[in-house]
Amino acid sequence: MAGSIPLKTKYSNEINARKKPSGDSKLVRIVLIAIAVLFFVIMLLVPLISVFVKAFEQGTKVYLAAISDPIALSAIKLTLLTIAIVVPVNTIFGIIAAWAVSKFKFKGKNILITIIDLPFAISPVVAGLIFVLLFSTSHGLLAPVLNELGLKIIFAPPGIILATLFVTLPFVARELIPLMESQGTAEEEAALTLGASGFKTFWLITLPNIKWALLYGIMLTAARAAGEFGAVSVVSGHIRGLTNTVPLHVEILYNEYKFSAAFAVASLLTVIAIINLIIKNISDWKISQQFK
Amino acid sequence: MSIEISNISKTFDSFKALSNIDLKINTGELVALLGPSGSGKTTLLRIIAGLETSDAGNIIFDGEDNTEKSTQDRKVGFVFQHYALFKHMTVFENIAFGLKVRPSKLRPGKEYIEKKVHELLALVKMEELAKRYPSQLSGGQRQRIALARALAVEPKVLLLDEPFGALDAKVRKDLRRWLRKLHDEYPITSVFVTHDQEEALDVADRIVILNQGRIEQIGTPEEVYDNPANPFVYNFLGNVNLFHGRVHNGKIELGGLKLDVPENTEAGDRDVISYIRPHDIEISLEPAENGFIAAAIIFIRAVGPIVNLEMKRIDTGDYIEVEISKEIYKKLQLKEKQTVYVKPKDFKVFIPEDYII
Amino acid sequence: MNLSIKPIKLKQQSVIPGFGLTMGITILYITLLILIPVAMVFVNSSTLGLKSFWEIAASPRVLASLRVSFGTAFLAASINAVFGLLMAWVLERYSFPGKKLIDGLIDLPFALPTAVAGISLTTLYAPNGWLGRLFEPLGIKISYTPLGITVALIFISFPFVIRTVQPVLHSFDTEVEEAAACLGASRFQTFRKIIIPELLPALITGFALSFARALGEYGSVVFISGNMPMKTEITPLLIRTKLEQYDYSGGTAVAAIMLIISFAMLLVINLFQWWAGNRHKMR
Repeated sequence: MAGSIPLKTKYSNEINARKKPSGDSKLVRIVLIAIAVLFFVIMLLVPLISVFVKAFEQGTKVYLAAISDPIALSAIKLTLLTIAIVVPVNTIFGIIAAWAVSKFKFKGKNILITIIDLPFAISPVVAGLIFVLLFSTSHGLLAPVLNELGLKIIFAPPGIILATLFVTLPFVARELIPLMESQGTAEEEAALTLGASGFKTFWLITLPNIKWALLYGIMLTAARAAGEFGAVSVVSGHIRGLTNTVPLHVEILYNEYKFSAAFAVASLLTVIAIINLIIKNISDWKISQQFK
Repeated sequence: MSIEISNISKTFDSFKALSNIDLKINTGELVALLGPSGSGKTTLLRIIAGLETSDAGNIIFDGEDNTEKSTQDRKVGFVFQHYALFKHMTVFENIAFGLKVRPSKLRPGKEYIEKKVHELLALVKMEELAKRYPSQLSGGQRQRIALARALAVEPKVLLLDEPFGALDAKVRKDLRRWLRKLHDEYPITSVFVTHDQEEALDVADRIVILNQGRIEQIGTPEEVYDNPANPFVYNFLGNVNLFHGRVHNGKIELGGLKLDVPENTEAGDRDVISYIRPHDIEISLEPAENGFIAAAIIFIRAVGPIVNLEMKRIDTGDYIEVEISKEIYKKLQLKEKQTVYVKPKDFKVFIPEDYII
Repeated sequence: MNLSIKPIKLKQQSVIPGFGLTMGITILYITLLILIPVAMVFVNSSTLGLKSFWEIAASPRVLASLRVSFGTAFLAASINAVFGLLMAWVLERYSFPGKKLIDGLIDLPFALPTAVAGISLTTLYAPNGWLGRLFEPLGIKISYTPLGITVALIFISFPFVIRTVQPVLHSFDTEVEEAAACLGASRFQTFRKIIIPELLPALITGFALSFARALGEYGSVVFISGNMPMKTEITPLLIRTKLEQYDYSGGTAVAAIMLIISFAMLLVINLFQWWAGNRHKMR
């Protein structure tokens, strides 16, 4: 969801980032900081830490057993397969869409951006449902064709991949569009006057300028692809060892009251989330350096 | 290489940026496109470079029509207003870029590129800074690197968009002298855009004055300064005093002043505007002849060899700016609030109707 | 696809290459992956006929789920608006130890899978959990009640308000505040009359984004809500339940309602940003 935050002002004001004096009294300051820290600790930090505490509650042995269980491994494999397909496809799409949207002026640009944003606004359950309506072999619009060809999409890995493609579609584009718009086209024009071809201009000038935002967009896509629950849950059919992804496996373990195992598998996803945040912070820092 | 601009027009949405521009730039010339913002000068420069396409007309380089050619194929050097240096490349890499991106058949060898870049760095006097990134350079240094980068591809035409616009006054003056010198040594056909008349008068061989998408006048600095074609040019180039008056039988009446204007004899009897530059006004302490207008001195600025006087006409209350030399100022012993008599030495009369478009 | 043709014709001339290719691929991809699948919901709903659509939409269970969804999402977004503003202020204006860490972790809910958030919060706020234990003596139950749903929704939409308000506060000219102080305004007056009006567009945008996100949330809520029909059943869960009972037309009809709400939210947010942007331009 990060990408849907309007980033208009994010890149434009780095220059006047002087230290702001504050006219607030010390008491006000301490009270406000205390409230903020408390809210942060209760709402974010404690839930984060609890994942790891619960995961190791019954010792390292149970932890390792939970994540090396064959069913867990097959869930990890399916999740990795999904990432391996979804991330490259949506990264390439994101770059292409960001180029079209940010380097040109055309009518209907806002409508296009809104459509690209649509997966953010739609409930994950509805995102799963729309693919059931298209590809279900019993109710789907394309059921006759699929049955004829003997293809199974819903309740099978292709459905999971399609639903994940849908929910992660906006991430890369939404990271790149505001950055590329704020960078303008002057450097590309300079490259063209120096005789560079369109592709060389993109490869040598545009890409190096957006690499950090691109990396963060890719990481967000990967994290969401690994962690998507609602949409995948609708299209998966929960067939153990076949159509279970990691988050669905967490749900099953939890519902079977295997709490430690559930948290152990969940901790893997949490580590990905933390890596993600680290890359985001590096990327933000690098971009702010660029704008100095 | 000569550039011929023929009948170029360009409209953005409903805004007419350029209408029917015709201009010929000779080989080796340094031409300034001068005009206020919104006059279309940058658009014209970008059309020459192929960064913008015109709605109508042709761009001809050395007799060859380039109108349909892409920017890459025009072989022009373009210096951008805010330099557009590649932020992620060093100074060396920036300058080498144009040579490195050539198709492999035309790409020069590594040694050649290195030699060429160092030559250019020497030319812009920045040899020590080859490994720096653009963010580590001052504005003037960035400008010189942008120029070196544009020259690296050995362009036949050099186009500069407000090349000194973002620099402070001192650096600006140094750089434009340096550019003039550079052009004298390597006479590449060059066109630069500016809104600063002093810059254009100082550097260019010829000046093209643009206003609202049209060419107002083309000429050498002396020509356009001494013989402005119309009130706009007069106003745009330097300070002027405006007098409303009347012509009648080859004479002009400006207040109580009657002067001969033989060239306006046919104009009949009508209202006119007269422009007089501050240094073309003579001051006398006595109302000796009837050709003098009485005015009160309001303010005197006597710093440097030229003395600026601000005056107010007694009869109409209009303000007049006058420039005199320090010698005359001392001789006349002028004081503020004193009443003196002024007379134009040289002036130009425009009949307003001719210039209403 | 009327849209797909128009931009090409109405595009302003540019020397930057690749417009036709990139725009073509973009439109093809979003048409196949977004527009056609989403349109399916409306195509399928329309085969139901208005009468049976209305019967499903107005059924007590659907209405109850909408009430739960709207109520909890609104409450969560409101709480986030207040605390988000406070956190943005503290992070932007004060310096204190650990500030960098907090700022770096704010986006955790965007990165953490919702299922993980769900099981973690449920365990924490269960009557015997670390935090639920504190509320148990007071007779307050959190997990398996609407309150629990709200907690989960606060978590998953936590960063929106902070991340929309922060940049505005960052670029806010403190000279204006100093000017107000010089003119004799108290700190509170300055805050209310100078700072709040300036932040309001960002605050409302952040609130709307939080609300929209919370309304559609499924993964975290499904664990903490207890899923009791009429009481703690949110609308996305109801769709899921209908699908599991092979009531495809019922599920699709409810999904159509949710989609219309999503579109309306998106429209309002975009219109509001456009309005706020224009208002700024005029000054």
